Amino acid sequence: MTFKRTFASTLALATGLAGGALADEGKLDIVFINDGHVAPYHVAWLSGFEDAIEAYDDAFEDIEITGRWLSAEGSLEKMIQQTEVTINEKPDVMFVNAINVDAFEPLVAKAQEAGITWIAVHSPMESADYSFTLGDVANGTNQGMAMCALSGGEAYKVAVMLGQAGNPSGEARREGIMKGIASCDNVEVVAEQPADWDTVKAQSIAENWMTQYPDLDAISGVTDAYMYPSIAIATNSGKDLEFFGYDGDIPILQQMQDGPVKADILLSGTREGWNFVQMAYRIHKGETPDKVYDFFTPLVMSEENHKLALANGFPEDVQVYYVDQALDVAAKGYLEFGPDSVK
Amino acid sequence: MTTATATTPSRPGFKLDSLTQRYLFLILLIVIASVGFGIANENFYSLANIGILLRSIAVPFLLSMGMTFIMLTGGIDLSVGSNVAFSGGVGVVALTATGSAPIGFAAAVAAGMAIGAINGVFIGRLRLSAFMVTLATYALARGMALVIYNADSINVSDAAFLWLGGVSWGNMPVVIPFVALVFVALSVLLYKSTFGRDVYAAGSNINTAFVLGRRPERTLVWVYVLSGALAGLSAIITVGRVSSGQPWAGLYLEFDAITAVILGGTSLFGGRGRLLGTILGVLLYGIIINGLVLTGTNPYLQSLIKGMILLGVVLLDTLVQRRNAQ
Repeated sequence: MTFKRTFASTLALATGLAGGALADEGKLDIVFINDGHVAPYHVAWLSGFEDAIEAYDDAFEDIEITGRWLSAEGSLEKMIQQTEVTINEKPDVMFVNAINVDAFEPLVAKAQEAGITWIAVHSPMESADYSFTLGDVANGTNQGMAMCALSGGEAYKVAVMLGQAGNPSGEARREGIMKGIASCDNVEVVAEQPADWDTVKAQSIAENWMTQYPDLDAISGVTDAYMYPSIAIATNSGKDLEFFGYDGDIPILQQMQDGPVKADILLSGTREGWNFVQMAYRIHKGETPDKVYDFFTPLVMSEENHKLALANGFPEDVQVYYVDQALDVAAKGYLEFGPDSVK
Repeated sequence: MTTATATTPSRPGFKLDSLTQRYLFLILLIVIASVGFGIANENFYSLANIGILLRSIAVPFLLSMGMTFIMLTGGIDLSVGSNVAFSGGVGVVALTATGSAPIGFAAAVAAGMAIGAINGVFIGRLRLSAFMVTLATYALARGMALVIYNADSINVSDAAFLWLGGVSWGNMPVVIPFVALVFVALSVLLYKSTFGRDVYAAGSNINTAFVLGRRPERTLVWVYVLSGALAGLSAIITVGRVSSGQPWAGLYLEFDAITAVILGGTSLFGGRGRLLGTILGVLLYGIIINGLVLTGTNPYLQSLIKGMILLGVVLLDTLVQRRNAQ
């Protein structure tokens, strides 16, 4: 029985492989392998990706669009295994948010041999077909410059919460923030500490900082995940701190209207998930996006703060979304990247 | 006066011990999982996928072997995952500095053994809690790995160094026969040597082992050193698999190893268990992970399924043991 089933499966597999050798124009299978799935940004990201798959599949009847996402839960070995298994499944497009890009170089070649389009997410890879990047240094610089412009020229002490040591995206964001802060003399970085993208670690770091630096003015973070505990601790302890975020999480954007959050970078997981599917669809239709595709990520401020920042010398050419507009596109990824955007 | 006691002669019957029952149950689960995943996705039985599956369990298998020795003594080693990163870093740096793959191999294994020796001395000689000591070396080894690598990866192109983890004969990764050899060697060590008997003795009752002159404190040191050596070997395989040294390699592997050993029937309290059970535990765990990916199971559900399987097996084991005790 088992032998028969195995034999039948093998036969079916061989037939499938033979058929799969020819590109199937009527199907588009997309896999997104991510390093995690529990951070608020990840949840929004994966949900945007799932919604976009469904919307594109409904909108284009000539093509069956399928997709799935996998989470490595922070483990390099798990991500390698998931990638190997996925390559063997031969989807059309793979988005891989690699924990470390060097570790995935051998697998890029294998994927390309199998006819799969490999899109490196966030950390660019020379060998990948495309890299989907965030312009982290430029975004970080904008956050740092916003801090300078909104600090009003007074002495201003800020602590910066970093990503995981060695993570390219986190390092680039830090580089940008420091570059932006260096554009003025009054902002002093009193502490820097990696929180490993972990909300719980961020909580204890924020608590320590608020005790250690009683005259702290602001906390800057390379992800909005750090903002949730930091804002809560400051509020509960009666501290009047300002916050500069990075991600465009909706709950954090909502705290920009008369709240303690002064600036944020509008990535928005939902938008990014939708952009993935739009990009895969365009590639499938024969378009060739830039090899390094920069996701559009404007700075977000309230209108009042933007005017104040401009008055204090903030560059006019930095594209800023006001909070309402940012909330709108963050919640509705289809506005920018839905099926209508490619029709 | 004599008293005649009438006893009903017990019928000699075929009765399996609890560990054998556990192994049969694990084999049943492996068959069910394989058939189920094979039906859900025919690619499950492809040679390429079997190769991927075997390669993916090679490192957990080695770490679980070491963990079995440790858990047989009633201990635990939370540092093995971090040790994979640390010993890999030492091996890669030694390789880069000398250009010699054998020196790189030796450095990786020696570094792994060094962490194991620290664990062993603190636990065996100073009688500190295994949980606390290895929790400390878990952080220590990861920290040293980050320092060695400067938190960034190091590319490795030396073909000899990459051979074990990176090369396949067709769909068969070369690491599989290597792991099989390690298993045979460890089986001989555990079942056919005085050291193996000392391991069981230390786990069954450390005070009795001490009184009997089996020097359990020395045995404890050596089981942690052995676990460290296997972490070093795992590091070499990991570097070969990804063609680079990675400071975040091995993250959470200690939990996979502990899970596999518990699935395999080794007692958390020591003195009971076999390497065969660990093999089955690793294989079942690997098949489940592989199958869940292949079937596109939602990752939110994956953790739930893995937890339920572990809980179910442990619960069943407890019930079987209680029934046998009655």
